[in-house]
Parts: sequence; C-alpha cells; structure tokens
Amino acid sequence: MATDPAVRTVTLTIDGRAVTVPPGTTVYQAARAAGIEIPIFCYHDRMPPLGACRMCLVKVDRMGKLQTSCTLPAADGMVVSTTDPEVVAGQEAILEFLLINHPLDCPICDKGGECPLQDQTFRWGPGRSRFVEAKRDFAKPVSLGPVLTLDRERCILCWRCVRFGEIIAGDDALKGFERGFTSEINTPFTLPVESKFIGNTIAICPVGALTSRTYRFRARPWDNEPVPSTCTHCGLGCAVWFDVRGGEIVRTRAREAPAVNDIWLCDLGFFGHDYVASGERLTAPLVRRDGRLTQASWEEALDLVASRLRAARDRAPGRVAFLGGRRLSNEDALVAARLFGEVIGTPHRDHRVDAPPGGASLEVAWGLRAPLEEIARGDVFLLVGCDVTEEYPILWLRMKAAVDRGAALLLLHARRLEVRRHARWERLVRADRLAAETGALADALERGAAGPPPGLEAAVAAIAAGRRVHVVVGRFALDGPGGSAVLAAAVRIAEHSGGVLHVARGKGNDIGAQRFGLLPGAGGWPAPEILRRAAAGDLDVLYVAGSDPATAVTDRSAWDAARRGVGFLVVHEAFLSATAEAADVVLPSLVLPEKDGTVTNLEGRTLPLRAAVRGPGAARGDREIFSLIAARLGALFTYGTGDELFEALRAATPGVEAGAILPVAPVPARLAGDVPAGAVAAGAGGGSAELILATIDHLFTQGATTGRCRGITALAGAPHCLIHPDDAARLGVEPGALVELATGHGAVVLQARVTDVTAPGQVLLPRGFDAVSAYALVRWPHAVVAVTVRPLVAAAAGGAP
Amino acid sequence: MAAVFRQTVAMLRGLLITGRYLFRRRVTAPYPDVKPPVAARFKGRHWLTLYADGLERCVGCELCVIVCPSQAIYVKAAENTPERQVSKGERHAEEFQINMLRCIFCGFCEEACPTGAIVLGHDYELAGYTRASMIYTKGMLTEPYPGASGRDPGREV
Repeated sequence: MATDPAVRTVTLTIDGRAVTVPPGTTVYQAARAAGIEIPIFCYHDRMPPLGACRMCLVKVDRMGKLQTSCTLPAADGMVVSTTDPEVVAGQEAILEFLLINHPLDCPICDKGGECPLQDQTFRWGPGRSRFVEAKRDFAKPVSLGPVLTLDRERCILCWRCVRFGEIIAGDDALKGFERGFTSEINTPFTLPVESKFIGNTIAICPVGALTSRTYRFRARPWDNEPVPSTCTHCGLGCAVWFDVRGGEIVRTRAREAPAVNDIWLCDLGFFGHDYVASGERLTAPLVRRDGRLTQASWEEALDLVASRLRAARDRAPGRVAFLGGRRLSNEDALVAARLFGEVIGTPHRDHRVDAPPGGASLEVAWGLRAPLEEIARGDVFLLVGCDVTEEYPILWLRMKAAVDRGAALLLLHARRLEVRRHARWERLVRADRLAAETGALADALERGAAGPPPGLEAAVAAIAAGRRVHVVVGRFALDGPGGSAVLAAAVRIAEHSGGVLHVARGKGNDIGAQRFGLLPGAGGWPAPEILRRAAAGDLDVLYVAGSDPATAVTDRSAWDAARRGVGFLVVHEAFLSATAEAADVVLPSLVLPEKDGTVTNLEGRTLPLRAAVRGPGAARGDREIFSLIAARLGALFTYGTGDELFEALRAATPGVEAGAILPVAPVPARLAGDVPAGAVAAGAGGGSAELILATIDHLFTQGATTGRCRGITALAGAPHCLIHPDDAARLGVEPGALVELATGHGAVVLQARVTDVTAPGQVLLPRGFDAVSAYALVRWPHAVVAVTVRPLVAAAAGGAP
Repeated sequence: MAAVFRQTVAMLRGLLITGRYLFRRRVTAPYPDVKPPVAARFKGRHWLTLYADGLERCVGCELCVIVCPSQAIYVKAAENTPERQVSKGERHAEEFQINMLRCIFCGFCEEACPTGAIVLGHDYELAGYTRASMIYTKGMLTEPYPGASGRDPGREV
C-alpha cells in the first residue's frame, strides 16, 4: 500500500461529478458513496466482488467495452458514465437475458414486492421481452431441508447463497452444480442442507429462488408490519424485525446492527418465533384445588399467592425463594428483585437454575469480557468446551471473519466441532479429561521454552504468538467434571497470553437477570442450594418465573425432591410446562416478543425489546404480576411507563445505557474452589467408568418454546445420542438404531447416531429435548455418570442421521 | 274572479303535462316484482371464478388487496399439496373475504387480477341485516360451478 499522502486518494469522474475515494475502492462503491445508483444482483457489500451477474455495467472512457463496476477498481482520472445510451442498452440486454428463463410468476412468488429483480426490471429493464420460446423448465419447488425451499427456475445464478456459505458462514452449505443453461444450486453432499445460517441465504437471495418453508405464502411483504426488537434465544441479542400480520409473527428478519449481528441471524433466530402464537399458551391463571389445576380469576390467584407469601414472610423472610430469570426482561428482573429482596426480604434468589452444585458456573459472573467487535479483531481463539455454532452462532461469524484474516482457531472439547476445518489445532478428549487437558495446555504455556508435550505444540505456538488472544470457556467445560479446574487453567492461559477470558454461559436474558438482582443476596443460597433446602423442608414458598426448572435443573430428581419438600410453588409460565404442571398456582405470563422493555446480551449490552404482538387471553407481563403481588403485600411500585422503569434500571445499576455495553464483573484471578484437575465423578456404582454420559448443547432442540416452532422442531430431528463407532461396534449398536441408555438412576430410549464427532468412551446426549431428558440419568454432585448402552432394535428403518 | 281563472288555467296546464306522460313509455320499474336489466359491463357483486375443470383461478396473490382503494379485501394464501390441489400451480387462497360495506365497486380488483379470478357480476341486491353478514367469505364468493358467474370458464384470463 502506498504511504505517500499524495496518492492516498483517487479522484474519478462519474456522470460528470468528481468523486474522491481511497485507492482500492471499486467504481460501484465510489458511485454509491456519491449517491449514484448502479443496479446490482451478485454484488453484496459484506462479500468481495464477483462480477457474475453483469448488471452493474458502466462505460469508462478509453476502455473499449462496458465494464462491470463492482469489480473495477477506481483509478485516478477515470471518466465513468452510468447513463450513456450504450450503458442503458447493456443493462436492458442483461435484464432481458436474465428474464429469458426467469418465470413471470411474481404474483405467487414470496419475493414479489421486495424483489431486487422485480424492482430493477421496473427501473432499468426493457419493458418488453422479445423472447417467445419456451422457458427453462425444472421441477419445483425443491425442498432442500426443513426450512429451505429452492425454485430453480427463478434462480439467476448470482452465487450469493453459495458465497455466503463459503465466505461468511464457512459451512459450504450450498454449491453450484452443472454448467450453463442447466446450472443449479444444490447441497454439496446430501439432503437436507446442513447449516446453522441458511435463513441468511433466503434473505440475500435477490430473487425468489430460495424461500422459507415456514413463511411460504403466509403473507405478501406489504401485509406485514415490521416491529424492531431483539432476539432472545441464545443470549447474544441479535437485532431483529418481527414481521407481524394479523396479530401473529409470521417471520423474523435480521435488523442491521453492526456492533452485534451485523446483518445476519442464525436459523434459531429466523425460525424460532412460532411458539408465540401457539394454541397451547396459557390464557388464565390456574390454581390447584383438590389436587388438580383449575382455572381461576386473577384476583383469586393473586390473593392466594400474596397470602402465602405474607404467611411465609411473617414466619421468616428466608422461607421464600425465587428461581429463574432467563426469560424475563431487565425490567421484570428489577421488579422481581425488588419484590423478593425489599418487600419480602429474602436473599435466596437465583437465575442460574441450570447450574449444578459445585460447578464453576456458580463461581464466576457469566458473559463475554469484550465486545463482539473486539472479538472480531482477535488473532487467537481458544474454545474450551464451547461449541460455538451450537451455542452462540453469531459469535462464530465474528470469529470466522478473523480466521479468514489469519487468526488461529484452537478447539478443545469432548466433541468435534462443526467449525473444525477452520481450526489450526483441535483436541478431542473424553469429557472427564477436559480439565486435565486444559491444565496441561496452561502448564505447557507457562513452561514456555521447555518444549510443549506432543500434541500441544501448535496450540502453544499459536497462543504464544498471539497478540489478541480470546479464551472462551463454555458451559460444557464449566459444568462438566472439574469445571473449576478448567476455569482456573483458562484464567492462567488468558493471563499468560495477556488475553481475554470469556465465560460463554447464559441464554436468553440471563445476563440481565444477573445484573438486576436475581442473584443470591447476602447469605443467600445459589440455585442448587435452594433446591436442596426446599427438599429439606426449609422453604414455605418457592416462586419460579422465567424458567422451567423441571427441565432445566441438571438433576431431575433434585427438582422433584424440592417440589415435594416445598409447601407452595408459584410459577409464571406461558405453557403448561413440567414445572407448571407441578405448581400450586400457575400465572399465565407473556413471552419476550410480547413485552416492551430491554434485555442484556452476553456482552452486557442493553438492547431494546418492543412488543410485536399482544399476549393471549388474560396473560400478563411478569413485572405487572410482580407489582400486583407487591401491592397486596403493602408495597406500591409506582412505575408508570417503560421510560420510568428504564430510569429505575439506570438508577439501580449506574452505567446502563440503551445500546451501550456495561461490562460484566471480571473473572477473579484466584478462584474459590480450586478443584484438582481430573477429580471426576465415578459412575453410579462408583466403579471405573468404561462409558460415560455427558450432555451437550444443540442449537435446534425440542423444548417448551423450540418444540413449538415448526422449523426448529424439524431441524432438531428425533431425540438422539452420539456414540463413537468403536463403542458402537463393541456394543453392537447399528447407526440409527434405538438404544436404551441406563445409569443407576434411570433409563431413556432414543436413537443412536454413530459418529466420530464424539470421543471414544463416552455417549453425548443433547440437552433440550424435553421428551428424553438426560437429567433423569444424572445425580448430583456428579456432572458425568457411567452409562450402559443396550441396543433395542437392530436398526431402525431408514434411521440413519 | 280573474284569480280563479288564472288558477284553473295553471292547474289544467299542469294536468296537461301529466296527461302527456300518461301515454308515454314508462321509465320506472315496479321493483322488486320486475328487475330492470343492467348494462353488460355493470359492476355488481363479485365472483371468484373457476376454470372449466373446476380448479380455482385465484392463486392468493393479493394484488386485489393492494389495489383496493377502500381496503375491502382480505386474502390469506396457502400452499397446494398433491392431496389438495385447489388451484393451478403452488399457491391458492385459503381465505378470501370482501367487506361489501366497504366496497365501492370500482372494479380495480378485477383489473389487477393476473388470472381473471375475480369478476364483478350483475347482482346488485346486496343488503343485509348485520354488518357481519356483509363480509362475504370465500364460500359465498366462489361461483357454484364453472361459468355460473356468467364468464366463460374457458377464457385465458
């Protein structure tokens, strides 16, 4: 690059206007910067130019032919015309060519009304086609998976979707096949298409070739009222538009937010909204009478809850406990914390319902310690027990951009990650070896010149050479055996390399709950302790909101015992979840897309929520319910509008500003419970564990909300577990066969996927499938248990994954 | 006396006009016993027409919805399946409603329709006792058999 200030810019003339741009800018970008419109199809400003569609033709003086402006670097003194008759003729010809095979079925095309081809034909097209012959004829539509539909006739072969998979997501989900007239887009290996980001290809397709299976024909673009809000699934808080038609969210689109998700979303965000309109939503309060939950009025239900809370408070405030917060907004969390902390006076509040006792999740504040934009500038990423695409997909897009610029991706996990082909170093270990391996890596790094043990050289070299190291510790590592040891080792690695340690933990609005008071107060118990005390009869009232402990607590029996031991269980729920079924009072609550307010993402950034739709029946917002109960307990919360509440948030936590990051608490340099690495729970019988069971995160699941989203349920597939081929061969498990997983505590039956993405000696069970819960097999304090696998059927018909 | 004469003359002149019209051809009709014919291009009640093979012409594209100046039309589309092929192609109207109280019978919907599905017929007796009864649903609007609306079911558009 030239350093002479004299040549830092180039000046060219476009349509008679002098435009000055930095060198390397293309003519198209220069024109756009000057407000001159040039039509494009294949060019996308998040990807390098390609020049496939030829739509952006311009005439350049002293160049013989028309040039594609998207690939032409601007040069000093260039004279460009976008309106020359030759250019107009060229553009018309290109559009006429594109429309030779493009069917004119705009009235039934989902893209109609928001289609660049439609718009540009209208503006730059010839207006009339001279083509009278038969158009290219393909069978259509082609289903490329549970959420993606391809119409090959409409495709203009711009390669945006293919290049998205290559450049942005790195998953190569779609590829071009055949040549010329018969060219088509398809999946490179087999159906269905394998990607966590396929919704983005639908969004950037400039025609209606790729459409959404779930949105198909549900609305025309002009029917939809777009509501700007924030996605509340994984916790990164991607900005979205909820498109609402007739009081129902019909689709979700990405909203541009350069600091968070740029213009992308993952498929959980794109297709994870159906649950809001589910017919199974609770619409009236339920009160247990004669052992059965029956409908009641709000007055009756609230009076009952208030009287039981008052009785418990009068006995001792500490006999009330609050669990949950993930599905509450910041404002809800603040009001809940005031109700339970000030009005009732109990310190026993915790949102970390899914953290096991003794795990590292309880020792450290959750959240990223650097903004996503800074992570995108990192040069070493060490992921310890964090399956980035399954847990925080948009975080991977940031890392992918850095990896393309030469950053090193280092993976340490008990499963092979989808992103492993971008990794410089990968270590696959059994779940109970994760702590020891992380410790070994930290040791090797600290020893430095002594020479790292075999297998660690590449990782040590990359970290030692890194200047902006990001160590990401995920839930699998924190909550697994020796989680504290993993965390301690990660702290050492981050310290030694001068990097940043991220605790990639928390979904939904966990960070907001953590920030606004849903953590144990002075002398308060963390969530596992609340459950233990409840089981022991030390609690009169257990209040649950924004969580489903029956499926989230990692030991189902611990929850069941807590339920049996507590006198009165109150639950805010949108669905009759397992927790709600066991409750004494169920109060129907709104879900986050129905709320106004704010949430906090994993970075600690305060993001806006706007109610897209109204709740069903008599369902109410959580903070309204908390206020009504507080009023019955003699405390008037006088929050008028959302603005006043936001002021209260800012007063409660200085530094909270809309859209801005307030960092979460730093990771302590020395951790409380330094557990020696490798101290691992043995199996139920205490014997040596030949095969151990560990739970992993999947993006697509079948839980209370995801199970009610058509696209997500289909993407998740049947409940299954992952077994290594060696183990499968030894145990006689055929791929796709049904197996019974049994521990000393219980057994579940599910499909076995035989795959080498898992290390030998372990069975990985995705969590989030409520029908087949791993937590029925686990007993605290063990995070990992020995398991026996028994094949039930030789092979399920066509059951291969 | 003169006044009486003037008044009598005026009355007779009036009667003369009445008498003249008494023997002319009648312009009024004894509605509803006799229903006057309407012009061929009269725009009355809408029909959703069918192809000769019984498939619906409407593909649920909502162009009538967007062109309607009084926002009287509501359409919700759905996908055709091999088991339930409602119209030609991939898409059909699952719901189609016209609010006859809002409709101004301008005929823009008929003009906008890319398949010639919606036509304005000759029926103008569109009264009702409730507002709800004035929202015509798809079942009421679809012609009972191909050609029942008076349009040739074999026409292209």
